[in-house]
Amino acid sequence: MKLSSHVPSGPLEQKWDRHCFELPLINPANKRKYQIIVVGTGLAGASASASLAELGYQVKTFCIQDSPRRAHSIAAQGGINAAKNYPGDGDSVRRLFYDTVKGGDFRSREANVYRLAQISGQIIDQCVAQGVPFAREYGGLLANRSFGGAQVSRTFYARGQTGQQLLIGAYSALMRQVDKGGVKLFPRHEMMDLVVSEGQAVGITTRHLLTGEVKSHFAHAVILATGGYGNIFYLSTNAIHSNVSASWRCHKKGAFFANPCFTQIHPTCIPRSGNYQSKLTLLSESLRNDGRVWVPKKAKDSRLPKDIPEEQRDYYLERIYPGFGNLVPRDLASRQAKFQVDAGLGVGSTGEAVYLDFTEAMNRLGKKSLSEKYGNLFQMYEKITGENPYKTPMRIYPAVHYTMGGLWVDYNLESTVKGLFILGEANFSDHGANRLGASALMQGLADGYFIIPSTITSHLAGCLPVSEEKKHISLRESEKESEERLQNIMQIKGSKTAGDFHRRLGNIMWNQVGMIRNKTGLEKAIEEIQNLREEFWKELYIPGEQSNKNAELEKAMRIADFLELGELMAQDALEREESCGSHFREEYQSAEQEAIRDDENFCHVSIWENKQNEKTWNLHKENLDFKEVPLSVRSYK
Amino acid sequence: MIKEHVKASSSVWWVSILKKYLMGLTGLGLALFVLLHMLGNLFIFAGDKAYNLYMHQMVNMEASSIIQVGLLSAFLLHIILAFILSVKNYFSRLKKYARAASGWKATAWYQKGLIAQGAVILVFVILHLITFKFGVHYKINYGNEEIRDLFRLVVEAFQNPITVVWYIVALLVLFIHLFHGLSSSFQSLGLNHPRFNKSIKGISLVYAVLVTVGYISLPLYVFLFMQEGAG
Amino acid sequence: MRLKLNIWRQKKDEKKGCFESYEIANLSPDMSFLELLDQLNEQLVQQKKTPVAFDHDCREGICGSCSLVINGNPHGPHKGSAACQLHLRSFKDQEEIWVEPFRATAFPVIQDLIVNREALDRIIQVGGYVSVNTGSAPEAHSTPVEKAKADEAFSNAACIGCGACVAVCKNASASLFVAAKLSHLALLPQGQAERKNRTLKMVKQMEREGFGSCTNTGACSRACPKEISIHSIARMNREYFKSLLS
Repeated sequence: MKLSSHVPSGPLEQKWDRHCFELPLINPANKRKYQIIVVGTGLAGASASASLAELGYQVKTFCIQDSPRRAHSIAAQGGINAAKNYPGDGDSVRRLFYDTVKGGDFRSREANVYRLAQISGQIIDQCVAQGVPFAREYGGLLANRSFGGAQVSRTFYARGQTGQQLLIGAYSALMRQVDKGGVKLFPRHEMMDLVVSEGQAVGITTRHLLTGEVKSHFAHAVILATGGYGNIFYLSTNAIHSNVSASWRCHKKGAFFANPCFTQIHPTCIPRSGNYQSKLTLLSESLRNDGRVWVPKKAKDSRLPKDIPEEQRDYYLERIYPGFGNLVPRDLASRQAKFQVDAGLGVGSTGEAVYLDFTEAMNRLGKKSLSEKYGNLFQMYEKITGENPYKTPMRIYPAVHYTMGGLWVDYNLESTVKGLFILGEANFSDHGANRLGASALMQGLADGYFIIPSTITSHLAGCLPVSEEKKHISLRESEKESEERLQNIMQIKGSKTAGDFHRRLGNIMWNQVGMIRNKTGLEKAIEEIQNLREEFWKELYIPGEQSNKNAELEKAMRIADFLELGELMAQDALEREESCGSHFREEYQSAEQEAIRDDENFCHVSIWENKQNEKTWNLHKENLDFKEVPLSVRSYK
Repeated sequence: MIKEHVKASSSVWWVSILKKYLMGLTGLGLALFVLLHMLGNLFIFAGDKAYNLYMHQMVNMEASSIIQVGLLSAFLLHIILAFILSVKNYFSRLKKYARAASGWKATAWYQKGLIAQGAVILVFVILHLITFKFGVHYKINYGNEEIRDLFRLVVEAFQNPITVVWYIVALLVLFIHLFHGLSSSFQSLGLNHPRFNKSIKGISLVYAVLVTVGYISLPLYVFLFMQEGAG
Repeated sequence: MRLKLNIWRQKKDEKKGCFESYEIANLSPDMSFLELLDQLNEQLVQQKKTPVAFDHDCREGICGSCSLVINGNPHGPHKGSAACQLHLRSFKDQEEIWVEPFRATAFPVIQDLIVNREALDRIIQVGGYVSVNTGSAPEAHSTPVEKAKADEAFSNAACIGCGACVAVCKNASASLFVAAKLSHLALLPQGQAERKNRTLKMVKQMEREGFGSCTNTGACSRACPKEISIHSIARMNREYFKSLLS
């Protein structure tokens, strides 16, 4: 199979406009003849559903929560980037583009990133018009702040709840279309399968999470906006129900998976407190704007932070990266924290944490101004840990947060299955090997509001009519297949719970496929995952019936897919013999523990194909050309 | 999915907010009346003549019947709406919890039985009207004409300790009702402003205290300091 | 530590349920309340019993999935937080805890601790938005917004749609939920064009869904994980008359 990214020709700045002009149009009266399925109601899914329905398509929108407003985009705290240059500090579309390509360590597609930067401004316009209450200055204009790794202030925010506010905006646009009849909503439905007929996506099969009903739904195009797969690590900042199953089902039906090993570890999370822990909570990295990261200079120093004098503290980020200090990109901040902890310098009861100190900011800004900026984050920290960050430094540690990898898409966001489009975190995305802070919200909304409504015509205009009979057969087949899978898993009747397997898988992933990887570890991980998978299909126990709300069954179905993805992630990490962005291979580092990228051999997207019912993957490569941002060593020193 | 559920049959313009609005308006009107009535009562301290002349004037005022009709309708409307809303609220809640909310999240006891408080007040008002408005018409003449000697009736009535206690209890209920009801009326009428929000509650409390103390002072004064016939 | 849990169990499609008691030991005070339920469920599964069904997702107090009433308090005893942000350090060792679903006629129980809150979505559906099609928005800086108003709009927009206000209200009134959305949009210049219509429609829908009326007890505000002020309800009342009269 020949993969084409379908990037339009012409100068970078004109590609998107030119492409929009060249895309086929669909007569307004004809739009309502097309049915489109959207899976997921996060930023990408909700905005796509709303925008497509506004255009006149018949949209069916599915989500696993009881309400579309609860998708996990809601938990994003920090903000959303846009090249508006309101502060006049030298920002521009080109600079946002440049920063994103460089931040992604040259593993993203230039044309896609440029388009993202171009659209970023429109997103802010759209959201403000919807009534998203962004932070404002006293003059009434929008406020901006600098965010994780950026040297300009281009991040728009709504206290620490930017994701929530943007999602409520998209959700309300979606509900407006529900009212108008443009969108039919299916809450509490989980996607079980992609229905493919003659190489074309023609619908999905779902399971109703309360009744267990398995049912197929037809569509002329299917849009997946189901988020990332960070939950494979068991402990992550993802919501409990975030999962890879929708993507994985598509992968099994012919959608290629790209760069699965690119997983972002967020440097500022609240550390784990015990084995019972079910998830980790992220604290917006905007905290690093005013907080200073440090560890004691002496190993195993058990004194209270306030008792450790200034000269015995190591503000290691400021020391190692004097230019960027505490604001270095996420991967560097995370890795350095791990190095400190591995060297025995970690703090707190588990020794798996570093300090984030606000004493200096308290003196400089005062408590009031600090609480205005971070009040709710401080509160959140105190609720979880019982400690007051105004008085004692926070303890933070990295946690899995975002996955840059995902289903491969071309410039139209179409996967390798015709008519299947992937948006937001679920696609392999514009962030390369590492995502900059406040760029996920930007990408999700760019995909949903502005890209898919234009590019979907590339499929719809030429979409071949499927005969009623064929359609019927494929839908029924998919239903049958899904029901069989459910029966198979219910029939195992072993003795171990799904949660048990999840924890063990998470352990393997975190230790061997986490922040720091090496050949031996990855090979061991592959073997361990294979064994675990085998055990899973023998030893699993699910109580209750299929025809009820059955959280254990849901969990088990998701873990079954994670158990396959885990192997692919390890394989991808093994194959990529270089260190780039979030992917750090011990074998490929300099004497100063800096990543060594290998552009000669790995300047490509690794794209994995899984033939149905086969246990191995074929590797395809999409070579990446960097014409506008010359390949350079990413250095923040 | 979501759309199909809604029964489009009922046209709802007569929403609870409107009922609450009328509750608030009538409530405020009645609250004003109880204040004025209380102030009138204070003539008792000025002796029988002042008291009886004032009451005579009030009852024979030209606008008297209009006011009475207005009062009665406000009172009835307040009660009917309260009843309708209570029924609706009962069916909206229906299911109770095994444990009641506690601490910060609890609903204050005095906010719970508004309808019960109302019932006590209603009984009180009916008995009050029977005792006084439709009670014995003693006559007295202060020179010009023969007028009703309400003073005598009042003094007689409050010789009975049971009556005094019942009055005090009923008036305390009125106090609770007024305290919550007054500030609540402003809320229902949408009359709030960041600058006054705090004072509204304070003013309601002061108002309720004043009215109640004023009222209670009468039966207590009569019972403690006036013997029958001494007036 | 050790706790005794009385949890509401109700089978799907059945109208009645009852409390069942569970003893659970070896708990850490740093554990969250939902992790306690996880542990209980893990135990139940191992005993081949049906685990307790409850709605949860983000576990950081923002998705609004939690619908637990703990010892009579929606989301537990603390102010300004959701049930997922409650930790066992808030309970005494050996304490007996009662866990029930949010209750209201408009929130029918589906199974165990799961309730149907689609009524809230339907209220948003009839008007809780600014009608602006994608791509038709003017430049963001074309309309300045007074900071104080933007901040107040945010405080109202912070609603997570959990329904704790309904759950705690003695009348099961959704006034705070509706008032928060109306306030959010009425305070911003972007919300002005549809202000009246939105108010009329959303209030009407609230009525249709069978929520009770507001008796201004303020319990909703105190139970609200985002501490939305009851003054928003006064604003809703005011907005409603204005909309009706003009």
